Amino acid sequence: MGAHEDGLPLGSVPSTPVAAPGISERSAGFLLSHTPLGSLVRAVARLRLSVHFKLLAAFMLVAVVVALMGAMSLEIITRMSRQSVAMHLAHQRVSSARQAQHALAMQMSFTAMALVLRDEATIASILRENNRLNAMLAEIEEGAPGEEREIIQRIRTAQGEIMATVADVANLVRDGKIEEAMQFQLTTGYPLFQQVEGLVEQVVRLEESSMGGLRAATALANRQAFYLMGGLIIASILLALLLGFVTSWSFIIPVREAQGFLGRLAKGDFGTRVIVPNQDEFGALAARMNDMSAELRRLYEDQREAARQLETLNSQLARASQAKSEFLANMSHELRTPMNAILGFTEMILDDVYGEVPAEVRSPLEDVQTCGRQLLRLINDVLDLSKIEAGRMELSLTDYSVDEVVETARTSLRSLAAEKGLEFTAEVQPDIPLAYGDGKRITQCLTNLVGNALKFTKEGTVAIRAGLDGERVVYSVTDTGIGIAPDQLDHIFGEFRQVDASISREFGGTGLGLSITKTFVELHGGRIWVESEPGRGSTFHFAIPLRMAEVTEGT
Amino acid sequence: MSQKKILLVEDNEFNRKIVRDLLARQPYGLLEALDGEAGVEAARREKPDLIIMDVQLPKLSGLDATRRIRAEPETAKIPIIVVTSFALSGDDKKAMDAGASAYLAKPYSPRQLLDAIRKMLGDA
Repeated sequence: MGAHEDGLPLGSVPSTPVAAPGISERSAGFLLSHTPLGSLVRAVARLRLSVHFKLLAAFMLVAVVVALMGAMSLEIITRMSRQSVAMHLAHQRVSSARQAQHALAMQMSFTAMALVLRDEATIASILRENNRLNAMLAEIEEGAPGEEREIIQRIRTAQGEIMATVADVANLVRDGKIEEAMQFQLTTGYPLFQQVEGLVEQVVRLEESSMGGLRAATALANRQAFYLMGGLIIASILLALLLGFVTSWSFIIPVREAQGFLGRLAKGDFGTRVIVPNQDEFGALAARMNDMSAELRRLYEDQREAARQLETLNSQLARASQAKSEFLANMSHELRTPMNAILGFTEMILDDVYGEVPAEVRSPLEDVQTCGRQLLRLINDVLDLSKIEAGRMELSLTDYSVDEVVETARTSLRSLAAEKGLEFTAEVQPDIPLAYGDGKRITQCLTNLVGNALKFTKEGTVAIRAGLDGERVVYSVTDTGIGIAPDQLDHIFGEFRQVDASISREFGGTGLGLSITKTFVELHGGRIWVESEPGRGSTFHFAIPLRMAEVTEGT
Repeated sequence: MSQKKILLVEDNEFNRKIVRDLLARQPYGLLEALDGEAGVEAARREKPDLIIMDVQLPKLSGLDATRRIRAEPETAKIPIIVVTSFALSGDDKKAMDAGASAYLAKPYSPRQLLDAIRKMLGDA
């Protein structure tokens, strides 16, 4: 009992209504029992922290990861914007380098043109292109690495020489020495141009390669940022899932355990225990539930013990009652044997079996007979009662006649009615068919009621009536006696009941007659009741089936 | 003609005396037995014309004695009046089942007993 295995509770889900385990349920079960997640869940459950704190911690952890991701993306955006500015700058420098190249080419072209056209405007154009070249060089030089700066310096030096050559050429042209000018340009100017051209070409190459490097670096950085962010997103999703799983199952497990526990308790397994790894509110709850279960078990066992004691006591009482009833039955039987002799001898004396009885002895002898019969009735009543109490009262079922029942009752009490000077009548509905039941007991019942009526009536009438009411025979005994108070009507059929003690002193009797009568009527499946008005008289009725079912009833 | 013989099986002295006194002036001979076994023995030996059998008897109960008497061909036809004890329910039925010819409930009136005897012996 309560030795619930310290495993996972999924196998022990009680039969009480929980949704049938679905796919998520089954996969959770698999994860809990086949992966370290199970131990992790129990470890979380075992933490001495409140449920509130655990939930908050889980959410905070996820929030921190999200915040980290935000910070990283901000950083990446900033870097990318910086890279984009650098790219723009590199573009500009490449463009400047190309313009410088272009300006140089134009300069050479204008120099050649000046040899043909010999005008000042073309010479001025040479100067303009020279200025443009210088301006571009200045732009490139700013922020250029040392090696490039050196090349630019060499370009400037060579350019200075070119400009000196150009000035000489211009002067020769102005002097009309064209042949000379052309010769000079060809031998001095052109090689200088070629040198500068090569240098500018170098600068262009450097700038272009620097831009290419930047582009490759940017692409790499972008790829890295993509993988980093993707990884972080996946990691945070996994973390959120893990935390959700672990925290929720660390709460679900004790709830499931509690469910199983309550199921067992509901089935009456008091003292069963719920075992949870939790040391939080759920752990406290489980401890309380175990206390409750132990208390229930204690109460249950107390109660069972009490019930056992009660049962023992009951059977002792039943045995005692049985013994009492048997004693009474035996006693009644033992009393009957001398009674037989007393009544037998008295009757024989009165019948003059022993010779004629003197007149003065006859009266006391008759008193002996009357009292003897009365005593016999009492013995019979006690005997009947003891049999009823012992549950041994059985009816002896035969055909009998209602007429005979009424006649027997009337005959046996006629003399008593006559002695008291009461009018005593009997009226039976004609043509009642043969009845089936215990005729002797029915006679006893009617005799009891008539005897009571005669006993409690000082003057007037006692009337017996019997008639059919459907399938039932109704016997009624009406008297003009002392009557019964309304509050006593319910009690008079109980054992040893007479309306009050003074009545038993005045009228005699044990109070057993009505109780026995009621039992016999009920054994026949009938009903007994009384109507009465104090001071005016009573009518007792009992109704029993004309023909009883063949099955004999016990008490 | 010879006197008719009646066998009384009864253990109580006073109840035997009642029957003895009752039959004293009647034309019947009375035999007495004090228990069931003696009753069966007397019935076999004397072949009485009538047996009055009490139910509650030492050694062998009146009902068993009645059954034995009925079981023996020599005594099977003898009429038996069983005196039932009203104390035990259904005694009358048990008496008839055991083979009684008639039964009387105790306490009986001597007058009733005499009537029953006369009726059984055809002297009514």
